[in-house]
Amino acid sequence: MARDGTASWPAGPSETHSLVTMDGGVRVAGATVQRPDRYAYFRERDGAMPAIPRGAGFSFAAASFGAGATTIDLRSFDRVLGFDARSGQVEVEAGATLGALFEFLAARGFYLPIQPGHHRITVGGCIAANVHGKNPARDGTFVSQVESVRVFHPRHGEIDLTPQKESTLFAATCGGLGLTGIIVSARLRAQRLPGAAFHVVHRQVATIAEGASVLREQSSRSDLMYAWFDCSRRGQAFERGMVVTGEFVSEPSDPVAFKLSPSRFSSQSRARLPFSLLNPISLRLMNAIYFRLLRRSGTANVALAEALYPTRANELYLSLFGRRGFHECQAIVPYDQVAEFVGQLRDQATRTGVRITLAVAKPFDGESELIRFDGRGTSLAIEIPRATAASQLMREIDRLVVALGGRPNVIKDSRLPRDIFEATYPECDRFRTVLRQWDPKRLFRSELSDRLGL
Amino acid sequence: MSALVFGGSAGLGRALARTLAARGESLVLVARDARDLAAEAAHLRTLYGVAVEWMALDAADPQATEKLAGVPGAAAIRRLIFPVGTGNDSDDGLLPPATVAALVNANLTSVMATVSLFLPQLLAANVGTIVGIGSVAALRGRNRNVTYAAAKRGLESYFESLRHRTAATGVRVQFYRLGYVDTQLSFGRRLPLPKASPQAIARTIAGNLGRDIGCRTLPAFWRPISWALRALPWRLYRRLNF
Repeated sequence: MARDGTASWPAGPSETHSLVTMDGGVRVAGATVQRPDRYAYFRERDGAMPAIPRGAGFSFAAASFGAGATTIDLRSFDRVLGFDARSGQVEVEAGATLGALFEFLAARGFYLPIQPGHHRITVGGCIAANVHGKNPARDGTFVSQVESVRVFHPRHGEIDLTPQKESTLFAATCGGLGLTGIIVSARLRAQRLPGAAFHVVHRQVATIAEGASVLREQSSRSDLMYAWFDCSRRGQAFERGMVVTGEFVSEPSDPVAFKLSPSRFSSQSRARLPFSLLNPISLRLMNAIYFRLLRRSGTANVALAEALYPTRANELYLSLFGRRGFHECQAIVPYDQVAEFVGQLRDQATRTGVRITLAVAKPFDGESELIRFDGRGTSLAIEIPRATAASQLMREIDRLVVALGGRPNVIKDSRLPRDIFEATYPECDRFRTVLRQWDPKRLFRSELSDRLGL
Repeated sequence: MSALVFGGSAGLGRALARTLAARGESLVLVARDARDLAAEAAHLRTLYGVAVEWMALDAADPQATEKLAGVPGAAAIRRLIFPVGTGNDSDDGLLPPATVAALVNANLTSVMATVSLFLPQLLAANVGTIVGIGSVAALRGRNRNVTYAAAKRGLESYFESLRHRTAATGVRVQFYRLGYVDTQLSFGRRLPLPKASPQAIARTIAGNLGRDIGCRTLPAFWRPISWALRALPWRLYRRLNF
């Protein structure tokens, strides 16, 4: 096509879009977006311009736009290129969604144990953000099911990365926020699907620290686990919560045909409501109802698709924050500091008058390499409606995370300051060095990478 | 029995190939880039377990279509579908001759050449469907898309002839005049009306295969617009700038 004929890269038809992070915190009105659908797009060229790849655009931080970079929407590269039914290895293009892959794999008796909770998230996005799944303490993070990654950089062309071949670049790409180049495709290791449902147990706990220790105890034998806490109340009931653990119902595992319901959710549609419906009263009511629902369920069998992708409830919940959005802080706090963290969090929340809408805990037991979100401890994800007092509380939480030796998740917080990132990611300078050696001109950039000085 | 999808690696052609593969149909994909074709063929085989062959050739070179006779499984082809074509941003009537030829070839000549290659076997089997894809851009000539619209209008005439030619046989000839479709061709263009999803158009086309429907305009909201545009007298039409 004539429009593809220019020499520089990225070349092709462009649109101007207003892009916003899922949390509503960063908005770029005039982002240039390209949506290539042919491999000819990935040709080695000189004179390349700043760019950043994008998948579903579900990141809470501005990882796929900003910094004057052309956003490259990879969702047309959505193919399953190969599958080995003996080993479970599946090769997919980066724009393939978790849902499409799940439908494909489940019908053949396989699944990916590590995946986040929305089925429209793309495989490329999962790799770039090195997301975690339902039990990071036992299963690790997304990188542990990646066999190889194919990356395109206009200066180097396409290159295959594995933990053995080009291991440094492989490590920098898995969890590298798209900054090493465009993830074109990947080989993933799927596991045999043990059953079509989870047997889920709910246990009530009085405090977050108690919940964290239950998670830790149970982590070796659970296929799914998290703890939910109601922090909308003051005083004694501040941290009451529910630990949810699940194990596969072991049935003779015939291949299962799942058809996921379609979703049109996006960071734009999330922000449709002009105001937040989460005020102290509605919040207490909602949390009280949710708490009772969980308590009443006791033990239950939950269908696999529903447990992996609780999309409906999440979409609705996030939409309630309205246009202004919310803040999330997810941080791994060392096990022995959880009680201290929660105590100080409660004090600061009371002092600033901010209501915490949600707190969710998960156990982690890994090592953080380069800038990957991993570590040993309990990950606590806290959400609060976006407001002036909320930003103040977020700054207090930042200080708390650093003081207690925690580590925040950069992909969950569109505001995380550079100094907090540097204080909690000891290998960030090594990541910078690897990146500059590979790409001295630092072609791939985003608001996120600029903010963190990457 | 299999279907040849010319332009089957991207856009509407990709959506059509996926829709047909999901119905268990064997396919022959034709497009310019071997790697795009190999990826799409791998996807269709892996997902749907159907037989998929492919051949890379440039529609701008109609003589290259002769090679299609040698594609594996060519003898089993009973459906010819042509979601193929290309536009040019500077197509204002002043393009150099080579560019004009390439545009006409990609949109018209290569389709005719491919049909003439396979029509004998469809007629011999007395079964099959040939689907041409036109554009609302060819409804009335205007000051842009000059060559493209001419080629698409030519294509429409060709398909009418083809339908007439095969009227007494079991071969069905269909032609679709499409409005804006959300593909690379329309990406980045400011358009006065919404784009249709390639998947929706593909479902309709696949559902109509084998039926004697003649010419259809899709999406349906373009039908009254087409009538009005056609009926517009020159005195008024010349003032339009769209």
